[in-house]
Amino acid sequence: MANIYKPELMEVIAVRQQTVDVKSVSLRFLDPERAAAFSFQVGQFGIFSVFGYGESTFNICSSSNWKDRIEFCFRKVGRVTEGMWKVEVGDVVGFRGPYGNGYPWDVWKGHDLIFLGGGIAMPPIRCAVWYALENRADFGEITVVYGARTVGDLVYVDELAEWAKHERVRVVTCVDPGGETPDWKGDIGFVPTVFERAQVSSKDPVVLVIGPPIMIKNTMPVLQKMAIRPASVYTSLENRMKCGVGKCGRCNVGSHYVCKEGPVLTMEHLQQLPMDY
Amino acid sequence: MNDVSQFEPKILAYVCNWCTYLGADLAGTTRLEYPPNIRIVRLPCTGRIDFNLLIKAFEVGADAVLVSGCHPGDCHYTSGNYHARRRWILFRELLDLLGFDLERIHFTWISAAEGKKFQQVVTDITEKTRKLGPYTELYAAAPVKDLPQPQPNPLQLQTFATENELRAEARKLLAEGAIKVVIGYGERGPVLVTRPEDADQLVWNNRCTANLAMYLKRKEVKALGRPAIVVKACDERSLVVLEKESQFERKDLHVIGMACEGMERPRCANCAVRTPRFADTTIGQFPQQTPTPRPNKLDALMEMSRGERMAFWVQEFDRCVKCYACRQVCSLCYCERCIVDKNQPISIDPAPGTKGNFAWHIARAFHLAGRCIGCGACTQACPVGIDLGLLNMQLARAAKKHFAYQAGVDPSAELLIGAFSQQDKEEFIG
Amino acid sequence: MSELITETRLRQLAGEWLDGGKRVVGPVRIKDRVLYQPLQSPESLLIESNPGGVRPANSIKEFFFPKQETLYQYRIRGRNIELIEPAQEFTEQLVVGARPCDAAALPILDHVFNWDFVDDFYNRRRAVTTIVTVACSATDEACFCTSVGLAPDDTRGSDAILLALGSGRYEVRCITDKGRALFPGKTETSTESAKAAPPPEAKFDPGKVRAFVDAHFEDPIWAEHGRTCMACGVCAFSCPTCHCFDIVDAGPTAGNARVRTWDTCQFPIFTQHASGHNPRALQPARQRQRILHKFSIYPEKFGEILCTGCGNCVRNCPVGLGVLNMLTEIQHGQHL
Repeated sequence: MANIYKPELMEVIAVRQQTVDVKSVSLRFLDPERAAAFSFQVGQFGIFSVFGYGESTFNICSSSNWKDRIEFCFRKVGRVTEGMWKVEVGDVVGFRGPYGNGYPWDVWKGHDLIFLGGGIAMPPIRCAVWYALENRADFGEITVVYGARTVGDLVYVDELAEWAKHERVRVVTCVDPGGETPDWKGDIGFVPTVFERAQVSSKDPVVLVIGPPIMIKNTMPVLQKMAIRPASVYTSLENRMKCGVGKCGRCNVGSHYVCKEGPVLTMEHLQQLPMDY
Repeated sequence: MNDVSQFEPKILAYVCNWCTYLGADLAGTTRLEYPPNIRIVRLPCTGRIDFNLLIKAFEVGADAVLVSGCHPGDCHYTSGNYHARRRWILFRELLDLLGFDLERIHFTWISAAEGKKFQQVVTDITEKTRKLGPYTELYAAAPVKDLPQPQPNPLQLQTFATENELRAEARKLLAEGAIKVVIGYGERGPVLVTRPEDADQLVWNNRCTANLAMYLKRKEVKALGRPAIVVKACDERSLVVLEKESQFERKDLHVIGMACEGMERPRCANCAVRTPRFADTTIGQFPQQTPTPRPNKLDALMEMSRGERMAFWVQEFDRCVKCYACRQVCSLCYCERCIVDKNQPISIDPAPGTKGNFAWHIARAFHLAGRCIGCGACTQACPVGIDLGLLNMQLARAAKKHFAYQAGVDPSAELLIGAFSQQDKEEFIG
Repeated sequence: MSELITETRLRQLAGEWLDGGKRVVGPVRIKDRVLYQPLQSPESLLIESNPGGVRPANSIKEFFFPKQETLYQYRIRGRNIELIEPAQEFTEQLVVGARPCDAAALPILDHVFNWDFVDDFYNRRRAVTTIVTVACSATDEACFCTSVGLAPDDTRGSDAILLALGSGRYEVRCITDKGRALFPGKTETSTESAKAAPPPEAKFDPGKVRAFVDAHFEDPIWAEHGRTCMACGVCAFSCPTCHCFDIVDAGPTAGNARVRTWDTCQFPIFTQHASGHNPRALQPARQRQRILHKFSIYPEKFGEILCTGCGNCVRNCPVGLGVLNMLTEIQHGQHL
């Protein structure tokens, strides 16, 4: 009997503390055959579990080209993530997935890419940036504008610096006004403001914007001024999830099930959906 | 000692850090031997011991439980053990009703100097539990005797004479503007009337059984503004308790008290006070009466053996689906986030199995100890007909027997739980 | 020509099935109400739940989708985790005395439990269950099966249906092979033919409802008629088609298992994010979700209404709500 709710066992091969309450974890399948057979599309998510605590949903924040591992990144906010916080290299955790849809790379091919992210929304952007850099010839200019509330809340800072070293890649990092430290050399301001200030010029780019609803709301007018249509702007939704397979009935935004038809969708589509997220 | 067939009881002890734990320590350092069957869980104070920890002990396989702390007057936190004692007095009565074996639950006061007493207590409890045997009766199913069922009373719908007076009052209050919503009875169920022209939606008949005080906790109702609420004398007791527990300011609520001769249900035959006593507007008047005591299900249940009682509850809770209707319709279950919905830690198994259902109903009943006013909304709401009210009735009886206390009757009386007396009985404490 | 069976014979059959190790489920009297329960003896079967109502107060979904289901257990030994699948024995089940509104729910639920990912916990139980329905000989004001395309003698989802002829006799109509396998040699032929209760009048048009909910996500109607809801789970848990669930891991004291339990969109924390944000923070939004899911989302995804009009929600709601209230308001109110 197939048990669609049973997780696969993964070994923790690396744990990195990103901020005071954020860690990123690298996993590899215990079963090497399964590891070899596994594939996913960047943008999809998984349901990661710590036995004794529960399961939680996170984007798979590693590039699908990295065959030796998958990664996820989490903030310690509740029961399951408290359990995850205690996980060490060598521990065994569970994984169900990949679920949902990934970024439509075939549609994005040939375009400039603009990534806008806030706070803990960087991980689902991080995998996309790496994937794009690994398929560099497929994409034009790459711009990343990433901000967090304070300097201490920024994640993957070393990778941000690395991306900036690539050709035709521009990375702008910012913190909210008041979140800067005396030696902060990046920008200060909310992501939509900083993005506008950055004066990115691009013809027909694809934009991936992920962050709290207020950030997305304030980003849309800026994109509109740049004549970027909502059909070219993508986001990754989050909602409370349990089963990940479209049955438990809780992640829907109107008739759009985030676990099945999402989490990736265009702003054009999102604007047609009811305010149910 | 190596006789493998000898049963080794597992005993879980919840002890306070300052007295009993040190007493145990003293027993150790002075080389007093005691059976190794005991597992000690150290807590800061007996006052902190949540009653559901006792249930959890049995859930994980303990054959007996010991709860021990500082002697009255010696509590490190001054009064923690007094609070604990009061709770234990009530909790034992609830456990008795549920068919738990009280011989397996022990309470003692053991001080830091009483290493010898600790040795004695643990040795005694171990031997006693060895004789009792493993706690296989816990949640044991067995054929169950039926309890006497009240005769169904399908009365014809009868509208009371004061219905129009009620509507007029509601219309007036809403038109005047100070009251934004009237919480009352409608044709199919409770209604929230916000406009004077809708006052005719209110009804007053022999089907107005709900305790409308449950709406006072609802965010959606609070958002409407200053309410008026329709209450019967029985429901009014909820208001007394809620006000005492600072859930509302009396001036912020307009109470429309409806005198009532009885609804379409058997409990009304037990009613003594038939006219609300503290309403802003009282409609109708019926004098108090002395009801004749009648045999009831609780008496019948307490006459059964302990094993039969437990089997009864196993069968009842087997039907529970954890819909939480009992909690939602209760006017006194107003926690922003209920303990069963919390998961750090998971104190009550959320699944609707035997353990999870016992733990939930014990928690709910005990959180209402000394507070429940017996409106019966929980029993009525239960979709699978569990006799929930019996749990509350047992605790109400215990409150009356041990503390001469009745919830919601005397607004000036001190609340039962949260207070304590140095005279609280402790004949069950070793 | 029809096939006829007596109540006595039916009870005898139930006894035979029980003796054969099958689970037999039917309406059983529990105090002042009737509930579908596994039978302890054939005598407890109430073929027509007359004491206090036209149908049992619960549904038969719990025999396909139990209120709690262990998905797997886990054993932790140091760094070693072992996952233990539950014993996959699904006892053969017979449901006797289901109502058409219960039986019809199963083919409706089949869609979601097989939507891309196949839920074998559900499917296996479906495979080992035979449903013998009893056509309704009475309806009450909470019934609205006809409004959602069903009827008191509808055979959808049934393996066989019994129609009352009076005096403890029933006409037996076998619908599927499973049904036919139950009754050979157990019935007598007859010339009598039974009729079910007259179908209740349609109370609303589901197409109208769907058009309304799709166009009125924000509308005062949800507060006006949903505000008195007390956010319990009675409607969803007694509903034949509601299937939302939770997955919990309560750790060692709960047996180190991942368990699926019933859940409902009416609970306040159903959609609560870890951040504290709740897309449906107040009850009117949750009431709206219920109607939307049943009358718009499910039809959009699977071409079926997620409701069989059984009326359990109406009869059981502690505050007199249930979906019918909202639906008739949509049908007759000033909104369309």
